[in-house]
Amino acid sequence: MGNVLVLAEHRQGALRDVSFEMLAVAPKIAEELGGEAVVLLMGSGMDDMAKKMTGYGLKVMVVDDPAFENFNAEKYQMALSALLDDLKPSVLMVGHTAQGVDFMPALAVEKKLPLVADVVELAFEDGTLKATRQLYSGKVNAVVAFKPADTFLVTFREGAVEAPEASAAGDVEKLDSPLKEEVPYRKFVEYVEAEVGDVDITQSDILVAIGRGLKEDKNLPMVEELATAIKADIAGSRAATDAGWIPHDRQVGTSGKAVKPKLYIAMGISGAFQHLAGMKGAKTIVAINKDPEAPIFTVADYAIVDDMFKVLPKLTEKLKELK
Amino acid sequence: MQTFTEKYDLLGCIQCGRCTGGCPVTVRADLNVRQFVNDAYDEDKLEELAKLAEIWDCTACHTCAVRCPKGLKPLEVLIGLRTMIVESGKVEPTVRDALQSVLLEGNPWEKSRATRSDWMEGLDVRIADPDEPVENLFFVCCTIAYDPRVRAVAQNMVKLLNKAGVDYAFLPEDESCCGSEVLTLGEEGLFEMQVEDNTEYLNEFKAERIVTLSPHCFTTYKTHYPDLKTPVVHYTQLLVDLLNDGKLSWKGELPKKIVYHDPCYLGKQGGIYDEPRELLKSIPGAELVEFERRRERSLCCEGGGGKMWVESESKKERLSDTRIKDAKELGAEIVAVACPFCVLTLEDSMKGLGYEEEMRVAEIMELLGELMET
Repeated sequence: MGNVLVLAEHRQGALRDVSFEMLAVAPKIAEELGGEAVVLLMGSGMDDMAKKMTGYGLKVMVVDDPAFENFNAEKYQMALSALLDDLKPSVLMVGHTAQGVDFMPALAVEKKLPLVADVVELAFEDGTLKATRQLYSGKVNAVVAFKPADTFLVTFREGAVEAPEASAAGDVEKLDSPLKEEVPYRKFVEYVEAEVGDVDITQSDILVAIGRGLKEDKNLPMVEELATAIKADIAGSRAATDAGWIPHDRQVGTSGKAVKPKLYIAMGISGAFQHLAGMKGAKTIVAINKDPEAPIFTVADYAIVDDMFKVLPKLTEKLKELK
Repeated sequence: MQTFTEKYDLLGCIQCGRCTGGCPVTVRADLNVRQFVNDAYDEDKLEELAKLAEIWDCTACHTCAVRCPKGLKPLEVLIGLRTMIVESGKVEPTVRDALQSVLLEGNPWEKSRATRSDWMEGLDVRIADPDEPVENLFFVCCTIAYDPRVRAVAQNMVKLLNKAGVDYAFLPEDESCCGSEVLTLGEEGLFEMQVEDNTEYLNEFKAERIVTLSPHCFTTYKTHYPDLKTPVVHYTQLLVDLLNDGKLSWKGELPKKIVYHDPCYLGKQGGIYDEPRELLKSIPGAELVEFERRRERSLCCEGGGGKMWVESESKKERLSDTRIKDAKELGAEIVAVACPFCVLTLEDSMKGLGYEEEMRVAEIMELLGELMET
């Protein structure tokens, strides 16, 4: 009672970041509830992963059962349903991932428990647990309370908080598999790796994007140097892909990809409407263009009006110094 | 339920190949529309056909439909295959987002409906009211309303109408996408909904005619809105009438060699070839020259058919590049068009080919706007 149960997620033998991130939140909530945070790992051949999860001073419960070799939402629902009855935690936290969203709503309905999905912050206020979720693409935060219940269910957003530093080792407790029978409907068929080019620019944190202003491909190494210095991937406008400077799968825009990096450095891109539509999700936009009237400046957070070939070497040099 | 063969009248095809023979995309990508019409007879093959990348290369220019001796529309077979992909949910994220934006915000550009009328700022625009009869009810188009590059088309139109003393009104921001690109991207269900909603909305207004600024809206309303009560015209038709009535006059000159590019949606699909030319001829000092491929044989710019959201896998020369090179050879200083998409594709090619110093791509309304001000 009063415990916060955190389901650690893994795929293809590797633990997912969100499993660790939730450990930055769970112990604080457990303390308020007068219980402790406990990690739950379900899978097959779990020794290595269990070891990794114990590095945070928390108890790790391990269900090691070949039936869990591959993810199956129905098995997870059945197992967690039984474990909720057994362990009676006050909160069950699961990552808001493709896996988490696959079984948590069904579990909530089955157990008649309140679920708050895609949570970015959990806090204890006025003696009750409150969850913060985001609306309108993050423009509005909504704080919601749970209906009174024995267990609150939460799916927690990936990347919402930083994972804590590893600390003392916790204990491992092996649990008998709660899966007593075959699940009736779902069957694992195969794991299909997503098709990606060499780099998936939709997942990049930093993008250096080039446009027609690059002029010719012999200028590309200058851009690559900057990109390497700040661990960025290179993307570009339709003009840059047409010219063959970058592959087609790195084109940003309505007929290319929509990107959402933390930093987008646009160089020699005037900013056609169709390009801007593809990068409006970027958190911070730096634009370098010699034309002060270029539309790219209407969306840029930082604007440098100058020849990109003058700015680029200096920028690279300064950024290398800062490292 | 109709089978695929019945819906697209595939058995009416005699496999003569005029469609593929005239298709401008055949030189750009590996698209053979005749082959698709042939293969689609076999219902078991449809799923496989729908997976071929080239179904997304079609620009819906309608050259195949214009040339078909049996009066069929071969391109619709390709759109039908796109529909299968859309229904299975396996579209590119860019296409998905554009379609979702049409559903939620009434435009494919992921822009807020609340800002649809922002282009009117600082202008004395008359706004339509269902209770007030009006002669010319203007429909702006999503691209002209939102893309700063082509907003001047609407802005100059307002100035021109005010000056000429025309009875007009523009629709307020509840104007919604006509669905032209939704239709060609294959989202049949959403398009049906748009037809229903837009018909009901537009029928509320008491207008003598609806005037569209984009040929895409023009053709879509004319061809796919059977219950629309008000006749639809393209703005070039209205302006030629005004010109003939002596209501338009230009100040200054534009002593340039101008070549007119026939937009597919206005020419091949809308049958309007002469009005834009008459407007250009009325410009003092201008010399109008012609492409070898013009009118029904005009080369497509690849802006239509949903191509703003789907890139061809082919690396062969873009048709817009070919077009600009042709214009260059003619010595044209201005490539004039009457379509926002043609402006975007042709201007991109013009810049890419490095002709910025000596050539300009302009919508006719941009040119006329400048002749009102000087």
